[in-house]
Amino acid sequence: MTRFTQSALAMSLSISLALSTNVAQAESVAIINATVHTATEQGVLNNATVVIENGTITAINPQSSQADKTIDAKGAMLTPGFIAAMNDMGLVEVGAVATSRDASDKEANITFDPSLAFNPKATTISFARKGGITRNIVTSGGGESIFAGQTFVVDLTGEFDSVIASNTGLFVQLGATDEGSRAMGMQQLIYKLDDAKKALSQESKTQKKAKDSSDEEPSREDRVIAAVLSGEKPLIVAVDRASDIIHLIKLKQDYDLDVVIVNGADAVVVAEQLVQANIPVVIDAMRNLPDSFDSLHNSLNNAGKLAKAGVKVAIALPGDSHSIYALRYSAGNAVANGMNYDDALAAVTANIADIFHLDSGRIAVGKPADLVLWSGDPFEFSSKVQKMWIAGEEQSLQSRQDELRERYLNKTDMPAGYR
Amino acid sequence: MAKFTPSLVAVALATAIAGCSPAEQQDPQVIINANPYPSTYHALPNSTMLLKNATVLTGTGERINDADVLIKEGKISAVGQQLVAEGAVIVDAKGKWITPGIIDVHSHLGVYPSPNAESHNDGNEMTNPVTAEVWAEHSVWPQDPGFNRAREGGITTLQILPGSANLIGGRGVTLKNVPATTMQAMKFPQAPYGLKMACGENPKNLYGSRNELPMTRMGNMAGYRTAFIQATEYKRAWDKYDADYAAGKNPVAPERDLMKDTLKGVLEGDILIHNHCYKAEEMAMMIDLGKEFGYHAGTFHHAVEAYKIADLLAENGNCAAMWPDWWGFKLEAYDMVLENVAMVDAVKNSCAIVHSDSGVTIQRLNQETAKIMHAANDNGFELTEQHVIGWITANAAKSLGISDKTGSLEAGKNADVVIWNTNPFSVYAQAEKVFIDGAKVYDRQDPAFQAQSDFMLGQQ
Repeated sequence: MTRFTQSALAMSLSISLALSTNVAQAESVAIINATVHTATEQGVLNNATVVIENGTITAINPQSSQADKTIDAKGAMLTPGFIAAMNDMGLVEVGAVATSRDASDKEANITFDPSLAFNPKATTISFARKGGITRNIVTSGGGESIFAGQTFVVDLTGEFDSVIASNTGLFVQLGATDEGSRAMGMQQLIYKLDDAKKALSQESKTQKKAKDSSDEEPSREDRVIAAVLSGEKPLIVAVDRASDIIHLIKLKQDYDLDVVIVNGADAVVVAEQLVQANIPVVIDAMRNLPDSFDSLHNSLNNAGKLAKAGVKVAIALPGDSHSIYALRYSAGNAVANGMNYDDALAAVTANIADIFHLDSGRIAVGKPADLVLWSGDPFEFSSKVQKMWIAGEEQSLQSRQDELRERYLNKTDMPAGYR
Repeated sequence: MAKFTPSLVAVALATAIAGCSPAEQQDPQVIINANPYPSTYHALPNSTMLLKNATVLTGTGERINDADVLIKEGKISAVGQQLVAEGAVIVDAKGKWITPGIIDVHSHLGVYPSPNAESHNDGNEMTNPVTAEVWAEHSVWPQDPGFNRAREGGITTLQILPGSANLIGGRGVTLKNVPATTMQAMKFPQAPYGLKMACGENPKNLYGSRNELPMTRMGNMAGYRTAFIQATEYKRAWDKYDADYAAGKNPVAPERDLMKDTLKGVLEGDILIHNHCYKAEEMAMMIDLGKEFGYHAGTFHHAVEAYKIADLLAENGNCAAMWPDWWGFKLEAYDMVLENVAMVDAVKNSCAIVHSDSGVTIQRLNQETAKIMHAANDNGFELTEQHVIGWITANAAKSLGISDKTGSLEAGKNADVVIWNTNPFSVYAQAEKVFIDGAKVYDRQDPAFQAQSDFMLGQQ
C-alpha cells in the first residue's frame, strides 16, 4: 500500500484555508473547456465556458470573457449542484442523542418552523458536500399530528446565513398508522382545507362589508393554510398507497393546490392520473422492499417508469441526513434500472428545484452559481467532486471524516490524540 | 479445545475398579444432540457448465481476463483460459465479469422480514439480557421477499443473526439463498453456528431503561462475564460426567440448560462469535473477554472504529465486518470514515469484511465495496477489484467458518457464482445470472428464474 496523501492533504487544507479568507466575492470566474450538463433544454454543451460573477451565472459560451480567474475543466463534467430534499440535515447531529436532535416535536403542527433549530455547523453538511450537494430542502420529522410542520431551504456553505428561505411548504404525513384509522388523517386534512377556505371567503366578505371592522386577524394556522390554498406553498404529502394518492389527486382538483407526493410507493399504479393532475413525485429510488402493506409496489424500476409516464420525478433520500452524500448513487441506480440519464440528472437538480420552488438546479444565465465540477460521471463510485461553488463561492471539500482518517493513517510514536 | 480423552491409565484404573467390585450397571449415556434441526437442503437441478470468456475475479486476489469457469457436479472444476469440457452447457460471458457468490455475514432477513409487522418481528428476544438459548433459525420466515431481492444482487450465502438488544442475543444461522418453504431447506450444511453478542448502547439502553442490569458499559461487561462463568461451570460438570461415564462409572448427568448449551459450544470452539461492537476500546476488551474464558472473540460487526485498532484485530485473528458509510445514528457510530474497511484490510493477516445489516444494502454489497475502494484510492491506497472482492466473498466465508466450502472460485469449492453485466464495482452493474452449487437460481433475462415470495402473489 503506497501512500502519498500527507502532502496532498496539507496542500488541500491550505487551499481551503486560503478560500475561507477570500470571502469577498468580487472576482469573476470563467470555467472553460467543460462538458456542461445544463439540466435545461440546452442539454449538454461540449467544450463550453461558464462565467460566474457576484454569485450568479452571467454568461455561457460568451464571445469573449475577461474573468479574473480562469479554470480549465479539461473536458470534465460540470453540473448544477445537486439538491437534496425532505431530510433532517442541520436538525440532528446524532440520532440517538436527544439533546442533539431538533427535527421532531410531539407538538409539531401546521405552524412548526424547524428552521429556527437549524445548525449550519452540523457535521453532516460538510460530508454532504462531498456528494456534490449544494442545496437542501430540510423538513421536520413531525410529531403527533398529521401536520409535520414547514419545510425550509438551505445552502450547504455551512455559514450562518445559509437558511435561504423558511416556511416554504407544508409537510403532511398520511397513510398507514399504528393506531386508529388512516381515514382520520385524511379527514383532518380535508376539514382543515375546507374550514380555512370558508373562513377566508367569509373574511373577504366581511372585509368588503366593513373595512374598518376590528375583527380578529386570521390565526397563524389559517395563514399557512391560506398560503397552501393560494398555491404559494406546496402541500407536501408523504404517502404510499394508491388509494391515498387518489384522494390527494381529488383534493388538488377540489382546492387547486400545489400537491407534491413524497415516497409514493404506489405512484406507478396511478401514474396516468398523476400526470393528468400534474402532481410530481419525490421518490427514494433505492426503496424496493414491500416494507408495509402500503408499499407493495416498491421497485428499483419505479423512478424510471414514472419519468417515462411523464410524471415529474425527483430522487431523494428522505429522513436521516447523515449519508445524503450518496444521493448521486441513487440516481445512478435509477439509471441502471431503466431511467433515462438526463431524467436522473434532472431528478436531483432541475426537477427538485421546480417542485420546491427553488431558483437553482440549472446551469443558465441568471441562475445562482451552484456548480459542481466532477472527475467523471457524477453517478459513478469512481468519480468525485473536483470543485464546488455555491452562489459563486468555492467550497471546501474536507469533512471531519478526513481528519479522523488522516489521524489514524499517519502514525507516530505519540498517541493519536497528539496527531 | 481438547475434550476428555480417556488415557490408558484411566482405562486401566477403571478396569481395576471393575475388577474388585461388581461392575456398576451403566445407564444409557446422556448425549446432547448438537443438530436437532438439521439442514434438508438439496442443490437445485444443475448440469456441467462452462462459462466462457469473462473477466474473472477469483476471490483469492486473482483477476484473470478472458477466462472460463468450469462447473461440474455443483463444484468449481477449473478456472482458466480456454478451457474445454465435453458435453458442457456453454454460457457465453464475453464482456461480463464473474465473481464468487456474494456472502453477507450480517442479515436479519426472515427474522425482521418485509412487510415490517408486529406479527413478524422475531429478531430480538428482549426479555433478558442473556438469551443464548434462542436460535435465529427458529424465527426465519422463508417467504421474506427480501431473500429474492438479495439473490438478484448476487447474494448466495447469508448469516441470519438475532438483533442486538441483548448482551448475548442467541444463535445465528447460515443459509443458502435458495427459495424454500422451510428454513431447514435453506440451511447451509455443516456450517457452524454463530453466537450474536452486542456491546455498547443497545443492551445498556434497553435494560437500563427498565432499571435492570446492564445500565452501563461496565454492566455490559459484568453481564458477559457472569454468563461465561456459568457456562464454564456447566462445561466442567458435563466434562466430568463424560469422563466418569467413559471410566465406566454411572454418573448422574448434569441438568440440561439450553442457554448454557450454547455458551458451552462457544467454549468448545464449535460456535463462532459474531459481536455487534462499534468502538475501539470495547472491541479490545471483548478480545480479552474471550481470553479470560478461553474462547476466540470472533468477528466484530458494525466495527465503525475498527480502523483505530487495525493492528490489534489482525494480531488476534479477529475479522471486522463494516459498512462503508453508516454513521451518526448513535454516538458509538459517530467516528465513521469511508476508508475504514481499507484501513483494517491494510494490516498483515487482517480479515476485513463489508456487511449489510439491511434488506436494502444487502442487494448491493458490490456497490458498498465500490464506495470504499474508490474513497480509499482517492486517499493514497491502491486497491484493485480482484482484491476488494474478497471483502464480500472469501473473508466473509472465513468469518462464517465455511471458507473450505465457498467464498472463492477454486477447484473443489461449491459453485456459488455470479455473472455481472459489467465491472461489479460500477453503479450500473447488475447481477445477470446467479448460481448456487452449480444450479442457476437467478437469471435477469429469464422470468423462469426469478423467484417470487408467496406473499407477493396476487397483490394489486
